[in-house]
Amino acid sequence: MTFARSAEQMQIPLLALVLLGACAAKMSRVIRARSIVVVLDATSLFPPRLRRAATMAVCFTELCLGAGILATSGRAWLGWADGVRLATALFFLIAMCAIVELREFRPGVGCGCFGELSSAPPGPRSVLRAALLAAAALVSLHGGELTLPPAGPTAALDLGILMAEFLLVAALSPEVGEVLARLGYTEPCEVRAAPPQRAITSLRRSRAWRCHATLAPAEKPADMWRELCWWYLVYPGRDGAGECDIVFAVEVRPRRPAIRAAVVPRPTGPPPEGAPARPREAAAEGVSPAF
Amino acid sequence: MDGGAAGALCCGRCGGPAAAARAARRQRFRAAVFARPGGDLSAAGSARRTARGATAARAATPGRAGGAGEATGGAAHFRAVTGTLLDISPHILVVATDAGEQRFALTAGAAVWHGGAVHATELRPGERVVARLAPGRKDVADKVWAGIGRVAGTISESGAGQLTVAEGTSRTQAVVIAPAAANRIRVRFPHLEPGNLIDLIGLRHGAVLEALVPATSQPAYLASRLTRVPAVVKTAAGTFSGSATWHEPAGPGEEPRGVAYPAIDPAAGCAEAALAAPCPAELPYLAVGSMVSVRNDCTGAARVLPVTSCGAAARLFHDRCLNCGTSPRGRVADLTLASFVELGGDPERACFNATIAVRP
Repeated sequence: MTFARSAEQMQIPLLALVLLGACAAKMSRVIRARSIVVVLDATSLFPPRLRRAATMAVCFTELCLGAGILATSGRAWLGWADGVRLATALFFLIAMCAIVELREFRPGVGCGCFGELSSAPPGPRSVLRAALLAAAALVSLHGGELTLPPAGPTAALDLGILMAEFLLVAALSPEVGEVLARLGYTEPCEVRAAPPQRAITSLRRSRAWRCHATLAPAEKPADMWRELCWWYLVYPGRDGAGECDIVFAVEVRPRRPAIRAAVVPRPTGPPPEGAPARPREAAAEGVSPAF
Repeated sequence: MDGGAAGALCCGRCGGPAAAARAARRQRFRAAVFARPGGDLSAAGSARRTARGATAARAATPGRAGGAGEATGGAAHFRAVTGTLLDISPHILVVATDAGEQRFALTAGAAVWHGGAVHATELRPGERVVARLAPGRKDVADKVWAGIGRVAGTISESGAGQLTVAEGTSRTQAVVIAPAAANRIRVRFPHLEPGNLIDLIGLRHGAVLEALVPATSQPAYLASRLTRVPAVVKTAAGTFSGSATWHEPAGPGEEPRGVAYPAIDPAAGCAEAALAAPCPAELPYLAVGSMVSVRNDCTGAARVLPVTSCGAAARLFHDRCLNCGTSPRGRVADLTLASFVELGGDPERACFNATIAVRP
């Protein structure tokens, strides 16, 4: 009896957290993009003219149900509790059907259940999660008022049930992997935006630049491009043998970037296509482990 | 200066001798600056790379990098021939190519596409054709596409079954929706008003595309409301995977083989890309002239190809390719038609799942 009672009661915080979390995830994306268009994926089964309204309705429903579950868990509005929990069960059943339909008719689109975290196409786990949450809402019917258990075995049982359910929901949530990846994520240099002016500034302050100053490099680079973690700058110049190109590679790094340089003689005749030139000089300055 | 320090770089479907020379020059400079006296270009860093879990770009060795169009991998190596149809019979195909007139035998089961599966004799001389040669055979074609074209971009004008589509900022295309395909296209692209995205495959009639096949489903967002997909870069053994699509050559000067890559460094500028359009996913920044290895995950065929353009259309779509499973991310490469066919893709199916490795 105690176990059944604990199971009924522990669904309430679980459901409230999932509903409010889903609403918050969607709203945070909307607020950042300043447009509701970014979360329309969640309602891609609707005709396009209804998607905006449907998305707003889904967000509003999640907010109301989440807040309603919490509000009716106390004594004040206890009379409304079963109605709210039944509505929650219905909501998750509809969500489950929608995910099944989405997998069938728009298999390339994410469900958007938790905003941008749910951008991957939903799998069977997403369907199971919605079914589990619907079942949890049904179990919570007639659960009555949510009360703090007395310290001891009852509290441990409540906590154990809650933790087990959270773990089960997490196991059924593909979004958890995305969250964990983001927590340990640092932007790799090859995808980091870097202004070219910073590379030029770093280069002008470097020893490699001063070493090649005698070759009279031009003020502006003749060619400059970014590839992966490096900016490449090519300056025309002159050495004792004639015209040459001074090539600098500047690493994309905020501080103390590695800089490499090479002097490449200009080919006198038409060069063979794609043939690599033999550098006459190569210098390295703090070579990055990136290469 | 090809691309100023802060100025715009026209990388719109670069082609011709000047673009090829620039790409070769950049490869030469890159090789020179990372050369070590008497040593392999990247040997010294390989141990550290391994220890630090280097990405794709660093995993490949420049000294071993193949030339553009080099086939890699153990799968069947397809070759493609593009040209103008001179004559065709049930068994022989005659095509005028840049290398002159070429004759190909058609296999017994050779498929011919001209708005749909047709018999070889239904083609008429003068059609632009792409023929895929049977693996290991130089004079046997096993599939032929005649007059195939594709338009992907933002609708700028529409009316009465006719559309004008902007592919990036520098190229517009006229599209006529074939009456027989109108319902099919409207199901996948319900909004044909200006500002919406569209991607259609069909028959090319001069400057006009007769749309027959929807290449994807219409995204829920407008082109002007495009947002960056905040996908975390997930590289497995130094590669990244996604959807590879194809585009028509913009003109006779465009390189027949290459990749329009959607993550050309924004600071370099790109004449074709709308400034507001962010990259569809976080991809490593590359430049025109970079070499990438593209592998078709459906057939296993792989090739090393140069980046020839900035993939303006590919940036707009966040769709997944559904051929042989769902691609793990959106469009990561927009191949030229010849490259797409040589990698074993069927252009009428719009895309294939691809794995990309950057070769420094």
